[in-house]
Amino acid sequence: MSLLNPYIRTVFCVLLVCIIWLGGTPAFAYDARNTDTTPVSTKKAALDYLAKHRQLPESKYWLNVDPDRFVQNLKNNIENPLGIYEGRSTNFCAYAALSYLPLHHDPLGYTVFMIELYRNGKAMYGKEYFEPSREVKLAAGTLTFKGELDVRPADQLWFMALADHFKGYLNFFDKNYNSGDENKLWAAVNFAKFNRMIRRLFNYDVVAVGSDLFRPGIRDIYEYLSDRLQKGTVALFVNNLDLYKKNHTSLKIDVPTHFVILLDVEEVDDDKIAVTYWDYGFRSRQILSPKFLKKLIFGIALCTKKTADGR
Amino acid sequence: MPFVCFAILLCSCASRKVFTTNYYSGNEKVLTSIEQSYKKLYQQKHFSVAFTDRSFNYVSFEILTDSIKYIYEFDIRENKLHDTLIKYNFPAPEVISLVMQMRSIQCSWIHNLDYYTNNQKQSMVFMSIRHISFHLPFTSEKYYILTFYSQPQYYDSEGRLLANRRLRKLRKINDDIFHRINDKVCYTVSERFR
Repeated sequence: MSLLNPYIRTVFCVLLVCIIWLGGTPAFAYDARNTDTTPVSTKKAALDYLAKHRQLPESKYWLNVDPDRFVQNLKNNIENPLGIYEGRSTNFCAYAALSYLPLHHDPLGYTVFMIELYRNGKAMYGKEYFEPSREVKLAAGTLTFKGELDVRPADQLWFMALADHFKGYLNFFDKNYNSGDENKLWAAVNFAKFNRMIRRLFNYDVVAVGSDLFRPGIRDIYEYLSDRLQKGTVALFVNNLDLYKKNHTSLKIDVPTHFVILLDVEEVDDDKIAVTYWDYGFRSRQILSPKFLKKLIFGIALCTKKTADGR
Repeated sequence: MPFVCFAILLCSCASRKVFTTNYYSGNEKVLTSIEQSYKKLYQQKHFSVAFTDRSFNYVSFEILTDSIKYIYEFDIRENKLHDTLIKYNFPAPEVISLVMQMRSIQCSWIHNLDYYTNNQKQSMVFMSIRHISFHLPFTSEKYYILTFYSQPQYYDSEGRLLANRRLRKLRKINDDIFHRINDKVCYTVSERFR
């Protein structure tokens, strides 16, 4: 009897397939899950990587971004991730808010991408390939009258590259950058686009409730938010006029315009909730009534890391 | 009826122009006093004040520390503002006096604003005054914004604020062009109060 016998050969092949199927699948599946994890790294790894690129030559792509200031800006972001600032009167709040994730959990991934983009004018981040437009490359580093963003060329580059790359329905009529567009619809972000950016760039699981127009129907907002905070990073899509209370006119447009990162909720006296959040490069704490907090929030995005064991 | 509408429109335009040109000179004493008091108090502790309602009864008080910004809202007719100021070691009588001065001229917001010239950090006092003399329905609110600088500023021939002496570029704050009142004070009319 030999393997050349057609019957034996068929049985052998079936057995081989079964062995591969039964024995191989778990290992293969494990590998696949391994590749679908959220990348994480340490602040030290990012700073070590940056130290190797301290003498970055001037980029031929980003003509207005000074390499020394660029590297210093990255270093500041790694050392003080809460300090990233979207600038005054820009529409960069969503890009600044989502930066919370890489700067806290994968600063190395962020740093490698930024250095690559600066050196080569193009780079991959997560599932996205970035090659910003010529207009954006020329404008980065020249934005002025935006407060501290004026002296943060790497942040200008990062925000503008994101705004140039990701498009949502709000950007439909203003897809290409022109001077001043950082304050206009070119940089605007709707809720779905915000969640998509986080999934595509940082490979997080994003569970979102709410929308651009209607609030999520949540009965107990305190319970809901504190439960979400236990599970991961929580981003809120809020009405900025309400957040920075302004009731000067009877005619108010009730739409969300601002993204913040929720850091803490705490029940305090008089059935109020103390909300601590990050925006504009700073932590803020406000005490609000549950009713007002519900009115404020249009979207809640819970971002959790994908791990190898699926937890 | 069309005549009435036209008259209303005319009045509103006229009042706005008068407001912008004469407001500072008519209220210079109190405006300067508010700016000076705020500057002095800000040196001791960083904070900003905003009136949040149309009747100027509710004030949002923002206390800035090194690590966090506390945002409180108070009814100025109650004692909570005073108690909170004491809790955070503010000179309560001076701060309350500033708040009342702001209320007297419908000043909606006072804040210390950072800006950069030649990569150097500078700061100015930013003040918004609500223009309530007349307001057409279904139009956005307008604010008279004043900025107080520590150094004399540069202006073009039309009196518009420039970024600096070398760069003949207009300096915009919150995307608004500012106009000269004097060497250190500028104004604009804006829909944004902060």
